[in-house]
Order: sequence, then C-alpha cells, then structure tokens
Amino acid sequence: MAQLGSIHRRLQISGVLVIVGLLAEAVCLLWSRPLAFVVLVAFGGLLISVGVLFFLYSLVSIPHSGKEHEAVAGKER
Amino acid sequence: MPTPAILALILVSAVLAAVLVVRPGITVHPSGKILAFGVLFFLPLFCLMAGMDSEMERSKSTAFCLSCHVMEPYGKSLHVDDPAYLAGAHFQNHRVPADEACYTCHTNYAMFGTFKAKFGGLRHLYVHYLRTDPRPEDIKLHEPFNNRECLHCHLGARSFEQGAVHNADPATLPAIKANTLSCISSGCHDVVHNVGTLGKMKFWNEGN
Repeated sequence: MAQLGSIHRRLQISGVLVIVGLLAEAVCLLWSRPLAFVVLVAFGGLLISVGVLFFLYSLVSIPHSGKEHEAVAGKER
Repeated sequence: MPTPAILALILVSAVLAAVLVVRPGITVHPSGKILAFGVLFFLPLFCLMAGMDSEMERSKSTAFCLSCHVMEPYGKSLHVDDPAYLAGAHFQNHRVPADEACYTCHTNYAMFGTFKAKFGGLRHLYVHYLRTDPRPEDIKLHEPFNNRECLHCHLGARSFEQGAVHNADPATLPAIKANTLSCISSGCHDVVHNVGTLGKMKFWNEGN
C-alpha cells in the first residue's frame, strides 16, 4: 500500500508540473511578444519536461507489486 | 497547427491532468494507466512541440520583428518611396513575402538556418533586457551579409545572370556567386535600410 501511495504521490507531482507548464505555454501563445517564445521554452518547456521525466521516473523507480494493485482494485469494486 | 487548436488541446490536456491529480487511484485500472500515459507523457510533449512550432512560425512574421520599439525605423525603411532602397524595393514589389519580409532576407539558407537565425534573435533580447539598446542607425549585423541569402532567389534569374553591371567584368559574376564580392558592397546595392537618412525621405502610402 505504501508503494501505491508513493506512486500516486509522484503522479500528482508530475501532473501539477505538467498543468503549470501547459498553462504557461497557453499564456505564451496568447502573449504576442518576442519574450513569449523564451518564456515558453525556458519556463513552460522546462516544467513540462520535468513533469514528463518525473512521470517516467515514477514508473521505473517503484518495483511492481501486482498483489497491491489487485487489492486496491478489488476494494474499489 | 492553428493557435486556437493548440490552446484547445492544452486546455483538454490540463483538465485531464487535473483529473489524475485529484484521483490518482484511477491508475490502478488498465484504462487509467493508458490515460496517465497519454496525459502525462504524450499530450504534454505534443502540446509543447506544437506550441514551439507555432511560436517559431509567428517569429518569422514582419509584425513580430517590428513589435520591438528599436526596430521601428527598419519597418519604416520598408516604405521608403525610392527604388534605390533595397529593403523597401523588395518589400513594396513583393520580391519577398510582405508578411515575412525581415525573415526572408535575414534568415540563413543553410541547414538549421531558421534555428540559427532565431538563436541569433535571442541576442537581441539579451541586449534589450540586460544591456543598453544601441541607436537604430548603429545596429550592425552579427556577421557580414552572405550573398547566399540573395542568391537563394536571384541565382538563375535573367535579371541577375544577364544584368549589364554583373557582366561588365567577367570576374564579377563568379565573385558574387563565390561570396567574395558582396551584393551590398559599396557601389553596388549598398543602400539597404539606411535608417539614419529616413528623415529626409518620402514614403510610399500602401493604401494609395
């Protein structure tokens, strides 16, 4: 259960990073100034990249435990 | 991809990511895992690539270049009512696309030329925000203008290949093509923007 909670926490962190990065990108697309491209890449791009990498890291860093997943899925059913 | 479509995709991605943040437990199901992969890997990267591509395209526009205050005289030079002004003559006669006038001449027609040109533009931001802007007439090119950018369009054109001045000396044309004699060298097409002299010039009114 602890592992499952940990991966959920990491998914949440990754999700928040991606959301903030996407919102920054949206603001840059609406903001027609030369600085917008730099902000898009340096801020939005960085947050999205870190979010995606953190998501991938969370997938590979926690050993798979089939029983836990089955237990939780059973509870939700 | 048009900007409104990218914005819509960003909104959808952000909403789906928010669902995952609020209910990470859905990832215990296979469909939730697929959703997580799409929302936290595929969609953000796709949105980022599409957004960067859109910004890159927008950065080629004449309006984008002229949105900087320091570039205003250069935009004005495109409307000089004098065919000797190279930039103005190209802009007014649509020898370059009017909506990408700056980019068409100032890009680098080599591999990764667009990226190199846009990377060069970052130096403009550096100078603008962290140094002092030079006076418009003091602005210089990063490197000497390469004839390759002119020959991208003019090479093979009758007016270029058979032009009287280009052929007056048999060494001239090969020198131009080899970039050893600049197109904008003194005595040739040396009046380009010349923003220092704009005060004395008449301007073409595009509407008339």
